[in-house]
Amino acid sequence: MDPLNEKPQENINEDQQLAGEDMDMENIIHNEIPGVITTTSQGITEFLKTTKIQDLINWGRKNSLWFMAQAMGCCGVEIIVTGMSPMDTDRFGIIPRNSPRHADVMIISGYVTKKYLPALKRLWDQMPAPKWIICMGDCSISGGPFYESYSTVQNIDKIFPVDVYIPGCPPRPEALIQGFLELQKKIAAKKDKGTAYMR
Amino acid sequence: MDTNVGPDEMIIHMGPQHVAQPGPFRLNVKLKGETVVDSEVELGFIHKGIEKILESKTYLQGIPIVDRICYLAALTNEEAFVGSVERLAGIEPTERSQYIRVIVEELSRIQSHLLGYGEYASFVGFVSMFMYPIAVREQILDLLEMTTGARITHSFLRFGGVRDDLPEGFREKAKEVFANVEKALQEWENMMETDLIYKKRTVGVGVLTADVAKDLGVAGPPLRATGVPFDIRKDEPYLVYNDLDFKVCTETAGDIFARIKVRFAEIRESMYIIEQALDQMPPGPLFNEETPYGKRTPIMRIPPGEVFYRVEDPRGEMGFYMVSDGSDKPYRVKIRGPVYPTMQALPPLIEGVQLADVVGIAGSMDACTSEADR
Amino acid sequence: MDAEQIIKSLTTKFPDVISDAKVDSDIRISAYSEAEKIVEVCKYLKEELQFGHLSAVTAIDQIQKNEIDVVYLIASYDHPVVLKLKARLPRDNPEIESIVPVYWNANWYERETYELFGVQFKNHPDLRNLVLPDELLGDWPLRKDYKGFPNRTAKNLV
Ligand code: SF4
Repeated sequence: MDPLNEKPQENINEDQQLAGEDMDMENIIHNEIPGVITTTSQGITEFLKTTKIQDLINWGRKNSLWFMAQAMGCCGVEIIVTGMSPMDTDRFGIIPRNSPRHADVMIISGYVTKKYLPALKRLWDQMPAPKWIICMGDCSISGGPFYESYSTVQNIDKIFPVDVYIPGCPPRPEALIQGFLELQKKIAAKKDKGTAYMR
Repeated sequence: MDTNVGPDEMIIHMGPQHVAQPGPFRLNVKLKGETVVDSEVELGFIHKGIEKILESKTYLQGIPIVDRICYLAALTNEEAFVGSVERLAGIEPTERSQYIRVIVEELSRIQSHLLGYGEYASFVGFVSMFMYPIAVREQILDLLEMTTGARITHSFLRFGGVRDDLPEGFREKAKEVFANVEKALQEWENMMETDLIYKKRTVGVGVLTADVAKDLGVAGPPLRATGVPFDIRKDEPYLVYNDLDFKVCTETAGDIFARIKVRFAEIRESMYIIEQALDQMPPGPLFNEETPYGKRTPIMRIPPGEVFYRVEDPRGEMGFYMVSDGSDKPYRVKIRGPVYPTMQALPPLIEGVQLADVVGIAGSMDACTSEADR
Repeated sequence: MDAEQIIKSLTTKFPDVISDAKVDSDIRISAYSEAEKIVEVCKYLKEELQFGHLSAVTAIDQIQKNEIDVVYLIASYDHPVVLKLKARLPRDNPEIESIVPVYWNANWYERETYELFGVQFKNHPDLRNLVLPDELLGDWPLRKDYKGFPNRTAKNLV
């Protein structure tokens, strides 16, 4: 089961228990502290759903899309160039980060092989949510020139929740920037797969 | 590598995602304190089976695939592939196309060395130094894009010629760009020669001697930095390199400082070669019309035979061993890349050095994982 | 040293081992060797004939002849001649002595030939898979009768 769905369900169970007759001692004590409002994650999502605060959060998120520097294939060279001075992506808040733990966006830039897939999954798990995936280049979209190879994995979109696809072999750095802008639009419209909206 | 660790030892895995890597590979280093006692390279994270794919494609379809063996030296890969097919089929490229090939391949060498230098500089600690070579490299890529229409993967060479002629205004643009490159090189050299910290981190680090380098099978700039003038362009001249005047750049120290100096000297030499080629280039057709295969025949049946053809890649000796059985597809292709032995030589090279120097040494070898994996 | 001299020296030293030695061009020669004697031949090449640079080790699957040819491409730092040395092995049980004691950099080439073709290199220091994932080991993907190629699992095939 995917971890995003796991937590809210647990909380729902807790909530039901809390609402039941036998409230446990701890909760009562919390309620009694003056000035402290306790709430549940269900409550927070309700709040987000009914107010404009999610728009504000998304505005912040979309303007600081840090991506993980991870050159996987030929397209990786264009990632390097995109992160450097000639393209100047800092103006969009797009900055390369070396560690997956600092990154918001993972760019799958090339062929995913059977040997690399476990590592890629692990990198994805190491990234803190909210996080997004951009498929860059034909290889990650459909297999590209290596679609029939014995050692590559096809159909990456079934394994990862991909938000933006950038065709090309390799796409130019400008295309990658456009991909980021599309992702920003998607986030602003609350249509992205990376944020856990409780719809 | 022995995975049992002693009381004050530990194993660090660098990779497969590591910023100091041009592509995914894993370097397991065993440390005693800060010193490397043992190490091991794991490859195959981007093994795509290019050799098998080439067996299932016609010769012409193979050109885009070989572009992607090493994306930093796509044109020299193409030269190795196209050249070996030409030797099997007995096609002689026209003279003008040979000059054009030399020009684009040397441009490709310049851009590869520039990117290699940038990566390496960031590995030894000059992170902002990465920005400068990339900015200069963009200008070289503009030249390549003017000619071939692509930035990285060109598919530009054809059997017996090239796809397109040099565009108008190429010579003027090239002059302008080369002046910029020369200026930048001087600036960086000044910085490298005078900066004490940089020198402390590079002079005498990762030293290879000529005998050891030969034993390890290393080729290209790391070998030439030890004083061995081994360059396929001189030893086994292909295209029109015989008619061009250039020297093989060597250094004697064999450390990472010397390797970068060799690369800088090679950038200058390449620019000199291009200027000569632009002057000497004769007019004429781009394609040899008299081949048995005509101009752009997608299907060419090549007589049975074997060939091993070597070219000088930016990273060393690149060779294609090709076996034909008379059909329109190669029977077997072996790609002998220069990075494969270089990566293999990494463990003996980093034994006994400090952990902080490992990335610097690895960066100075200018590895390209994609080509080692194929 | 030129191509003719090298062939002469090689055939006089190993008359029963080397066969089919011929000059392909000024700078290319090829020869077949008996599989059992490959290490001695390589040692002689390296020490006496200045073939100090092993370019590659690979194999060719000759499925019609039911053979696998192991190919050694040996070059030199001192002269421009490249020798293509081949050894014929039976296809069902290909086994040959490792040349790592002679050429250090044969190590990875032999590992790669092992995992892609299934050629066993005896006395190799560390014969494991290098580029293939563990689950593909044993399929020998570069043999001609490999079933997993072409792979048709990509969903947007035309
Ligand atoms: S899409 Fe093309 S350029 Fe990008 S990684 Fe794949 S083959 Fe290389």
